[in-house]
Amino acid sequence: MNKQMIISVMSKDRPGIIAEITGAIYALKGDLADLNQSILCGYLTMILIASFEEDITREDVLAEISHIQSGEKFEVLIKEMDIPIEVAHIPKPTDTYILSAQGRNRSGLVHSISQFCYSHGINILDLATTLTDDQYTMVLQLDMRDIASFETVLADLDIFSRDSGLKLVIQHNDIFRVTHEIGLH
Amino acid sequence: MLRSDQILATVEMIQKENLDVRTVTMGINILDCRTGDVQSTCERVEQRILDLAGNFVPTCNAISRKFGIPIVNKRISVTPIAFVGAGFDRHGFVELAKCLDRAATAVGVDILGGFSAQVEKGMTATDREYIASIPEALARTEKVCASINIATSQKGINMDALAMIGRTIKELAEKTRDQGGFGAAKFVVFCNQPGDNPFMAGAIHGLEEADAVLNVGVSGPGVIARALERLIGHHQGREPLRLDELAEEIKQTTFRVTRCGELIGRQVSKALGIEFGVVDLSLAPTPTIGDSVGEILKILGVDAIGAPGSTAILALLNDAVKKGGIFASKTVGGLSGAFIPVMEDALLAEAVGEGALCLEKLESMTCVCSVGLDMVAIPGSVDADTISAIIADEMALGMVNHKTTAARLIPVPGKEAGEYVSFGGLFGASPIMEVRNAGKSSRFMAWGGRIPAPIHSFKN
Repeated sequence: MNKQMIISVMSKDRPGIIAEITGAIYALKGDLADLNQSILCGYLTMILIASFEEDITREDVLAEISHIQSGEKFEVLIKEMDIPIEVAHIPKPTDTYILSAQGRNRSGLVHSISQFCYSHGINILDLATTLTDDQYTMVLQLDMRDIASFETVLADLDIFSRDSGLKLVIQHNDIFRVTHEIGLH
Repeated sequence: MLRSDQILATVEMIQKENLDVRTVTMGINILDCRTGDVQSTCERVEQRILDLAGNFVPTCNAISRKFGIPIVNKRISVTPIAFVGAGFDRHGFVELAKCLDRAATAVGVDILGGFSAQVEKGMTATDREYIASIPEALARTEKVCASINIATSQKGINMDALAMIGRTIKELAEKTRDQGGFGAAKFVVFCNQPGDNPFMAGAIHGLEEADAVLNVGVSGPGVIARALERLIGHHQGREPLRLDELAEEIKQTTFRVTRCGELIGRQVSKALGIEFGVVDLSLAPTPTIGDSVGEILKILGVDAIGAPGSTAILALLNDAVKKGGIFASKTVGGLSGAFIPVMEDALLAEAVGEGALCLEKLESMTCVCSVGLDMVAIPGSVDADTISAIIADEMALGMVNHKTTAARLIPVPGKEAGEYVSFGGLFGASPIMEVRNAGKSSRFMAWGGRIPAPIHSFKN
């Protein structure tokens, strides 16, 4: 059991997708280590990591999934890992920040904000957007451990806010944790 | 990751609803700074404050930036000065006040509390000298606040001291006549004064406390007011809300507000290596529009503050704030209740101007909330005995009800009821409140002695 694969699946959402995909992995005696899924406008995408016996190839997994008898075809991408990932030992970033951005909807908003993050060495860990009454809202979880200076990011964010007309607020993730979770650590 | 609607709710609280940490107050024990003379005691006190609090304000600012939550006030409280200055005369106490003022300025805090004494049972010769020093000490300093504990539920009310206090307040106001009697706004008289209250002017570092401790005061009433408005707004056209649902909203909002205070306080405490004390759940209004306890009373259904129902609403508010806050924090302390300081709350001040809120109704409201007759401007012509007697009534409420009550009365020199006084900034402004029956309590105040402590059983 030492060949790891990252499998990405996209399909129109319906009941049974996870059962079918994990069923295909189980049939190949694969072991599922982690899975993440998301649904957007009726479409499901999931990414999972599983390990298989040495003689199983990505073609075997692809074939097993394509044999699933269902109406909708799965879009599948599989990557065999050269160096296996120790799923249980991935260090979580200690200090993450939440950036919320709100403004009138127009094209290029996500791009401009992600470009801002990129240019400051900020990694986006999670991003959710909503659109209500022409108000576009983005909530980003950021890993800022590689930034040069927090003060510079704040000052540049201020300029970016003025230029883009977006209302931008950056706060430490713990603020949201303590105000929404029962436990106080 | 948290759901984005939860995040946006918190962002709204911070952006639109003024969520902040109202104060981080560092309590510092200065008892062991005492030497054989005034000058070297002052030097050691000043050095102690510089040593412990030198990095206090920059640390608060850095943590405030990191977490994205403003810390509005950074303050210091010290051991009640009458203990530190035992044996000093009034001039010695004035010197101590000046040294505290210098230290507060040097470390960049806005106010320092603890120019205080505890005389609920009896007064020493030092306490008398301390009281005599108050007018000059507060008139000659900017950042120093004074307080005196004159009553407790265990010991009763020290009426000898209280008689002196009425005269002291008059003299203090007179000495700061050109500022509208502002000196009296820096002096508060307590029953059951807590030793860990972070709010001014009554903050002290109690004798029961460790060498240094950080206490935090949570955000103001604005957040609660906006949360209630939002809930009521969302309910329009639907089944009407009931009071228990409104109380629940206050509770949940206070939970969040308290959590922010606790998080920030503990971070500052960790960064400075100073023990974390308590979170004080008090809702402290500021003169800023939208940061008023009075506004909450109006939102909850009285059209004029002081109208029948005001006391009941305040009781509901006070209780819901405690219930939400106590669960949110590991250690709650201080005053922990809604403040109704007239001058510092724009809507309370307005109600005084409209004639809706009178001194008697304000007094009854203090029975169900923290902390007492706070920042009440009264005519400068009111005599000292009447001032003492108003305070005696307020002390009696605290003593009998086993709660903290306080009085901060400002007899504005040369002004009468209905005229306007403004101190600016956090101290606010208001019309001067009428004092009815002035000059009719002198026989009572002339007795002196003590009002005995109330019975602690047979509670009917």
